[in-house]
Amino acid sequence: MSVSMIDGMTTMDSEDVVTVRGLRKSYGGRVVVDEMDLDVRAGEVVGLIGANGAGKTTTVECIQGLRRPDAGTLRVLGTDPVREPGRVRTLIGSQLQDSALPDRLRVSEAVDLFATGRGRDRHELLERFGLTARRRAAFASLSGGERQRLFLVLALLNRPRLVVLDELTQGLDPAARRDVWAAVAQLQREGTTVLLVTHELDEAEALCGRVIAMRNGRILDQGRPAELVARHAGWARISFTARDPGLVEGLRRLPGVRQVDIAADRVQVHGDRRSIAQVGAELVRRGEVPADLDVVLPDLEAALLHLLDAPLDPKADDRELVNLR
Amino acid sequence: MTSAATRLIRAELRLTMRDPLVLTFVLVFPIVTMLIIGGAFGTTPDVAFEHQNPAHWYVASYFTVVIAATGLVMLPVHLAAYRERGVLRRFAAAGFPRWSFALAELTLGLATIAVAGVLLLVVAAPVYGIPAVHDLGRVALGLLFGSIGFISIGVLLGTLLPSARAAQAVGLMLFFPSFLLGAGGPPPHVMGSALRHVGDALPLTWVTTSIRQPWLGIGTPTGTLVQVIALAVVATAVAARRAAL
Repeated sequence: MSVSMIDGMTTMDSEDVVTVRGLRKSYGGRVVVDEMDLDVRAGEVVGLIGANGAGKTTTVECIQGLRRPDAGTLRVLGTDPVREPGRVRTLIGSQLQDSALPDRLRVSEAVDLFATGRGRDRHELLERFGLTARRRAAFASLSGGERQRLFLVLALLNRPRLVVLDELTQGLDPAARRDVWAAVAQLQREGTTVLLVTHELDEAEALCGRVIAMRNGRILDQGRPAELVARHAGWARISFTARDPGLVEGLRRLPGVRQVDIAADRVQVHGDRRSIAQVGAELVRRGEVPADLDVVLPDLEAALLHLLDAPLDPKADDRELVNLR
Repeated sequence: MTSAATRLIRAELRLTMRDPLVLTFVLVFPIVTMLIIGGAFGTTPDVAFEHQNPAHWYVASYFTVVIAATGLVMLPVHLAAYRERGVLRRFAAAGFPRWSFALAELTLGLATIAVAGVLLLVVAAPVYGIPAVHDLGRVALGLLFGSIGFISIGVLLGTLLPSARAAQAVGLMLFFPSFLLGAGGPPPHVMGSALRHVGDALPLTWVTTSIRQPWLGIGTPTGTLVQVIALAVVATAVAARRAAL
């Protein structure tokens, strides 16, 4: 943990880009973020995931200095976003959910408008994100993918040490999503710290070194995507049609296999990831190579669904789930 | 390095010149209506126009139409559309100070009024001639404070109304009665007393009077000028507070 106490105050380590302690925010009596602690260290790509209304966007808006929290302390790149929201905003590259640019603003004009002069080579950025040919196009004429790529260009323009991306690929087609993912992966390689808010769990799994699952303004669990999957996603499922009736007993004895069901000729094996190879090896050993073998791997979506389905006891959350890092 | 305010002002001015609402409603509409109504009453001085050439009366009045079109329609629609679509949030998130956007809107409003006013005079000059300005100082004060007052009202409306459509509806509802009773419609002397009383109570009428009377030399309406200055101060204070400056 990178937090230390000096004179009774929580301070942040030099490697901490974001430190949040006890963040609370409510709208009209409805608590949206509740006693939230969060650390983001330099170079990390951290994803906030959760259902609608989990408090993800409100959390990042408090970090960006766009909303004033009701309680809690925040430090972003050594600056307090409550006291100096304007300064914090100049330090962060932001891509916001549900925002736009003026319809008639051209791509090159948007870049000129948002560039502070300490930034990257704007031509190189436009080239990198495939917008050079569209630099004279008005914002209204851009496709969804082009708009998101332009928002990324604007977020990166002034060499921010922290980039906040909120629902970056919402509404994009698969090819455009892959382009944007590649851009974020490039950021990670360059050492930029990224805080990503997303509903797309394959996106979080592909891009984030750490994900934080939220519900009702609280952190349910956090860790590497694979850790969350291992903790919450249940079992892999292998199914196939078997000819050998004695196969089932053999499968039940395999390491990692938790349960074997059979209905008609169809066998379903539930187990951990190791069991997949074990089942495959057993089938080959017995000369069974089913053409209809199907494997469903546990993924982050399954982990999140499991987390979201868990009964919510705020006190239990405090004790058991928060800060499992 | 260019400051955030300068970059924003430059972009806003450029975008305004591409906006069809501005081009038609603020630049073209006042000119067309001035040409029609200025020609309708001829050029012979008339008692209904306080013994002035009616065409000159309207030339001196139509600066106010430009001010009203800018303050009651253009700015509210522009700002409400920005709020509705999240453009203001994007500017805020990029570190543009709130005051820089307010300053950009003030500059934008003043520049639009100046350009539209000059165009109005350029068109009026060969058709009706431009009446001599009797008291340039008072005319300038009326223009300046009237413009600031209505720009502030526009910013206020833009921050209050939830959408561009709502801003357009409310703006037009405010604009046309003000336009007809307080600036570009029939002269007050031909109106019934009820309508005249309503017209006298309209802020746009104060602005028109504070410009037209000293321009044509038919009075020095100090009280009206004070009303216009008070309007500008109050509207600017409320708009600034609303915009959380």
